[in-house]
Amino acid sequence: MTHRSVDVPVVARVEGEGALHIRIDDDVITRLELQIYEPPRFFEAFLRGRHFSEVPDIVPRICGICPVAYQMSAIHGLERLFEVEVPAGTRELRRLLYLGEWIESHMLHVHLLALPDYLGYDDAIQLVRAGFKDAVERGLRLKRLGNDLMAAIGGREIHPVSPRVGGFSKAVAARTLRAFQPRLEDALVEILEVADLVAPLEMPAFPRPAEMVALTHPNEYAINEGSMASTEGRAWSVDAYEDVTHEIQVAHSNALHSVFTDTETPYFLGPLARVVLNEQRLTPVAREAAARGGLGLPTLDPFASMAARVVEVALALEDSLRLIAAYEPPDPPSAAVRPRAGRATWATEAPRGTLYHRYDVANDGTILEAKIVPPTSQNLRHMEKDLGEFLPGVLDRSDAELTRLAEMVIRNYDPCISCATHFLRLDVERV
Amino acid sequence: MVRVIGCGNPDAGDDAAGLIVAEEIRARAPSGVEVVRARDPLRVLDLLDDVERAIVVDAMRSAPGARAPGTLVRIEVGPDGSPAELRSSLSSHGLGLAGSIGLAAAVGDLPPIVFHGVEAGAVAAGSEMSVAVRAALPALIDAVLADVV
Repeated sequence: MTHRSVDVPVVARVEGEGALHIRIDDDVITRLELQIYEPPRFFEAFLRGRHFSEVPDIVPRICGICPVAYQMSAIHGLERLFEVEVPAGTRELRRLLYLGEWIESHMLHVHLLALPDYLGYDDAIQLVRAGFKDAVERGLRLKRLGNDLMAAIGGREIHPVSPRVGGFSKAVAARTLRAFQPRLEDALVEILEVADLVAPLEMPAFPRPAEMVALTHPNEYAINEGSMASTEGRAWSVDAYEDVTHEIQVAHSNALHSVFTDTETPYFLGPLARVVLNEQRLTPVAREAAARGGLGLPTLDPFASMAARVVEVALALEDSLRLIAAYEPPDPPSAAVRPRAGRATWATEAPRGTLYHRYDVANDGTILEAKIVPPTSQNLRHMEKDLGEFLPGVLDRSDAELTRLAEMVIRNYDPCISCATHFLRLDVERV
Repeated sequence: MVRVIGCGNPDAGDDAAGLIVAEEIRARAPSGVEVVRARDPLRVLDLLDDVERAIVVDAMRSAPGARAPGTLVRIEVGPDGSPAELRSSLSSHGLGLAGSIGLAAAVGDLPPIVFHGVEAGAVAAGSEMSVAVRAALPALIDAVLADVV
């Protein structure tokens, strides 16, 4: 019997540190373990005993890329428990803030992470040197627009500081948001150019069966509220999240794996799942981006995820223009909040998929228990499933090529591994 | 204008060093100096195009055993991007400080950039700052201030 081991100690250009171990015996994969995720358990412990009003400042620290998602799942859940009626306009301003995060996160993924994969370069710097400077600059411009939008609404600190249980501590001025209109109009043209760039890229075909899951809403493309649905016809309210799905321990990872409780099967979250489940809610330019980006709907192929991100940015830009045109600052910026004891649950759509929070709260507003289930942790088991189904078809490739393909399979999920640390590694001694 | 950019994670032990230093510089820097704190080093990409000079402060990790925790490093970044020392990075989305500065150089002209680093020890989520890095902070602040003025 011959065996071959492929270890990918750090999955390049995936957030944080990660490892994938594959063992191949006689051309059959006998072991496949993905260890790439650090769950936010420290924060769950850190939240216990805190006052509810501190939560919007604590949870965004979990992730440097999607702080708004963490704030929104927490704030909405607590407001529902406390039966807060937020001031008119709050809902729209929160959606706009979240759209900024989608734009930033998706454009980062498409231009700095995925495009180098598909065009065959190690990173975006090589991409620039190879003649794709305009494309990368355009991507950075779009990413920055999302970032600037977030900063205008949330404040220019290391994470947004204005969102509060009850509304916003300070509502951005209408003229500040209107100043974004020309940039958003330009970006709406540019995102279709990005779709044109993505369309002809050669993708591995991998139309495997998968049960996709996302929030849905009767009137809009669901982000901040809705109920859960799957492509296999399941439908459930967010209250039932921990009944319909649950987390299981696996030996090789310190992260939990999420599965459906009844079938023990994994599920697939993220932009592609959202686009498939909410196709009817796509805006006109988003539809055009899908057509020009070569995204035929519905699809089960995870390699369509990059095009789905482009489609969602088109939607986000168009929706941002609509929201900004109608914007009046909420006045007052926030409503009074009176805590009460009970359980708060909520889910929103983070850039990477559904982010579920649950808080058990005491009468005085103290957090007794916090549970945070991020999209990457829920997607982990499906990532392993995809690797197990995709890699057998390419085992004849070299280790280097196998590694590259494995990374591309993982990258479809845009996993957010370790939001806990970031480091600069210095390799040469010279002071 | 001179911009001081402190990078780091406030909840990961020594990784908070860049943020703490930035706060201190904000309190002590002369006018004409802007201080920004960034969680994600990718933000540095957006912070380089309208300044005369930039000073970036971050915790760092050398090859195992190469530097003791608390060791300070000062590196001038060349106009063509990151020097060899800033080779790779484990930072957010794998495109950390080195990648961000390198990419900024690839798409446009860089201002003069000085990097100030402190070798990290404890970096686990929720950990306290190590004694060595805490002890090194006053010297790091002085070193950054010397470049600011």
